[in-house]
Amino acid sequence: MNVVIKRGYFLITVLLCGALLSGCWDSDELDELGIVVAAGIDKTEDDEYLLVTQVINPSEIATEAPTTRPPASTYSTTGKTLLEAFRKMTHKSPRKMYLSQLRLVVIGKDLAEEGIMQPLDLFYRDHEFRTGFYVTISKETDVETLLSILTPYEKIPANKLMHSIEAVEENHGSSHGITIDELITQIRNKGQNPVITGLLMEGPAESGTNISNVENIDAPTKITIDHLGVLKGDQLVGWMNEDESLGYNYTQGDINSSVVTHPCSEGTAGIEILRGDNNMGVTFENDEPSISIELNLEGNIAEIDCPVDLSQADVIQQLNQQTEEEITRLIEESIAINQNEFETDIFGFGDLIHRKNPKYWKTVENNWDEQFKELVVEIQVKVELRRKGSATQPITKES
Amino acid sequence: MKRKSKNRKSQTASNALTPNLEDNLEVIKTSMGNSSDLVIRRVMIHQTPAAIIYMDGLVDNNSVQNFILEALMLEMPTEKPNHNLFESIKESALPIGEAEEIDCYNELFERLISGETILLLEQQSKAIAASTKGWRDRGVQETTSESVIRGPKESFTETMRTNTALIRRKIKDSNLRMEPKKIGTKTKTDVTVVYLEGTAESEVIDEVNRRLDQIDIDGILESGYLEEFIQDAQYSPFPTVYNSEKPDAIAGGILEGRVAIITDGTPNVLLVPALFVNFMQSSEDYYQRADIGTFVRILRLFCFFVALFMPSIYIAFTTFHQEMIPPPLLISLAAQREGVPFPALAEALMMELTFEVLREAGVRLPKPVGSAVSIVGALVLGQAAVQAGLVSPAMVIVVSITAICSFVFPAYNLAISVRILRFPLMLLAATFGLYGIILGMIAMVLHLCSLKSFGKSYMAPFAPFMPKDQKDVLVRFPHWGLLSRPSSMTKKDQQRVDSTSKEN
Repeated sequence: MNVVIKRGYFLITVLLCGALLSGCWDSDELDELGIVVAAGIDKTEDDEYLLVTQVINPSEIATEAPTTRPPASTYSTTGKTLLEAFRKMTHKSPRKMYLSQLRLVVIGKDLAEEGIMQPLDLFYRDHEFRTGFYVTISKETDVETLLSILTPYEKIPANKLMHSIEAVEENHGSSHGITIDELITQIRNKGQNPVITGLLMEGPAESGTNISNVENIDAPTKITIDHLGVLKGDQLVGWMNEDESLGYNYTQGDINSSVVTHPCSEGTAGIEILRGDNNMGVTFENDEPSISIELNLEGNIAEIDCPVDLSQADVIQQLNQQTEEEITRLIEESIAINQNEFETDIFGFGDLIHRKNPKYWKTVENNWDEQFKELVVEIQVKVELRRKGSATQPITKES
Repeated sequence: MKRKSKNRKSQTASNALTPNLEDNLEVIKTSMGNSSDLVIRRVMIHQTPAAIIYMDGLVDNNSVQNFILEALMLEMPTEKPNHNLFESIKESALPIGEAEEIDCYNELFERLISGETILLLEQQSKAIAASTKGWRDRGVQETTSESVIRGPKESFTETMRTNTALIRRKIKDSNLRMEPKKIGTKTKTDVTVVYLEGTAESEVIDEVNRRLDQIDIDGILESGYLEEFIQDAQYSPFPTVYNSEKPDAIAGGILEGRVAIITDGTPNVLLVPALFVNFMQSSEDYYQRADIGTFVRILRLFCFFVALFMPSIYIAFTTFHQEMIPPPLLISLAAQREGVPFPALAEALMMELTFEVLREAGVRLPKPVGSAVSIVGALVLGQAAVQAGLVSPAMVIVVSITAICSFVFPAYNLAISVRILRFPLMLLAATFGLYGIILGMIAMVLHLCSLKSFGKSYMAPFAPFMPKDQKDVLVRFPHWGLLSRPSSMTKKDQQRVDSTSKEN
């Protein structure tokens, strides 16, 4: 009898555990979910949020017999808060918005200039979001149009954007995808301001939202990954160009592989940067900090049409040096525009000083952007070209 | 137990044979109800009436003919009559291996029915029982349920003697003990407990004997009857008694210090104690090279988890944790789900049940119909269900992988428990998601660790952890490395291999 009572208690405990401890009690069949892959937010004229979601149409993507329906659909609503807008979306959409697979958030330019911290709160706080999605800014177009552009080659526009960001990052280094958690951390950090990827629409909006856009071999309307936008706090203050963006990524050690083009005596050389480490340090002289950036890069000669003799060691040395100068120029330009024009420290120099000398940092913390303008930065780039490829000499050289 | 032995004693007293031959024959005839296979041959030996009694079909006709009838009728008369006929017949006239004296009806019937020939003489209250057992059996054939690529293919038969001989031929050691028992008040089934004296632990042997002796049932038709009586965990889905029809597997078990129980009338021999890991091992692991054996064992463990958890994980992921599925896969799964009318659980249950039905039908079907059903089954399970929009293609894949994985285990009874446990896990997954699966898994592990088989922990050598025994569980060391017997089975006679026996 005792055993029976004991077992009964045990059973009740287990059942109670089941009822009380279950974290995400909500079962949804896959065909009841509207899988949101991209969300766009902007301000309307009545000072409400405009929310655009891009929902995929799975049966159109994973099919052997595609119809003329688009692979993704967009819905847009407005609301005083983003949550309200999300919920109001059910008026238009047949399914509940499922947000865990979000790849991308696009912020409208106006909203970005006003400040992005508040609208991003929901994306950062809500448990349904994974924190691995990229935050971007639509550079010229309104977010609704941008998210409605059908992309060739990759059926899901949000996927195309995400993959493009990653591809640029991997292979060229002129942009940098920033995920929501990195972004929020950097906004809240006084020693480093964030940069954010810009998205640009090329071509007419009318044709881009039509399925015929992807029926052309050269789609008339495309979305491209632009260079980096610079934030001061949570407000967009300006855009860097390609060189400046590259320079920024060199300082951050975010260059996985890139290209340096520079003119030599009578032609140009394309140098492929392969790998490298970066080292940022801070030294204090008379209580004045100065930053030093050291880069050790390794590269290949990828194409060259200068009339030089590549078998000579000093020619390689010279190429090394020219590449070093070119990279130094990129970094200098990048620092210069931030010091002089945007007046915001996106490089994390403040952070570096904070770590090295917390006492000093306390005195400049609240006035850092001003201090940053006066900061001396020393750049030291060391490039070593290791390989010349299968041709030992420039192809034009007569032997 | 006590009651039974007393009963038997009182019967013996009242059932003593009488000196009158006709009376004896009359009693035998009526007791057997004039059975048609009862043969009574009356003969005269030196002017003494005698009777030879045997059951037709249970005796070897040749031995009865050559060694009893011929000896008594042709050779005896030529010899000088002896004043004590009974003694002289018993001592010198019967050229047969086993001949014993009996003096009560109970024993007489027992021997008569198990195929011995009884010789009754006038004026004697004793009889001679000569062993002439011999009947048609299947012969030693290739095993059908536990096929191997490499290794002996013979399997046990339905005949006890053949089976004991098969084991003796593998273990030629005088310490191999075979203790006979008779279980079943009506069937009087022969049961033999086989073990290696000095290697098997005496506690285990005693325990086996005790459990077998307390069985009081009318009939034992298969070793499954015994298994249910002697198993430790009566209500557990997991088997705690191992069975096999391969002599090499049983001999291997006996060498590890385990106890085999052979039941007359079935090729399935029981082996105890049985640990969880035993059900994942095949005798072939020891015949193939060690690395292959290891790989296959790990593969089986993997399949165990797939067979157990795959459908429930699929349900949990697709209905609760869509964020855990990689996006391209999610899109593909979602596309397949479009237009499927049932929730994932119903879909899974439907397919799993269909498969179980097909499997069961496949076992029962007469061979000529089998192929027809398998074609229908393949079509129903595979294409048609998907094309009709009843289930998603992904579910078909999940069910097929699960089904294939559940056939990987060498022990059929473990496969059955896995197949059964799959269903509660699926329900848990459908109500609580991964949380439910984990709950189910914790409950299962707790249960497994609480099991014992004949005093040995079921999850040994993992729980309790025995470092020395790990050599032959997940990995199989080469034979020269299996230096000792598994200590989870026996602590006696530990040495198996001399470490110098390896080349280099």
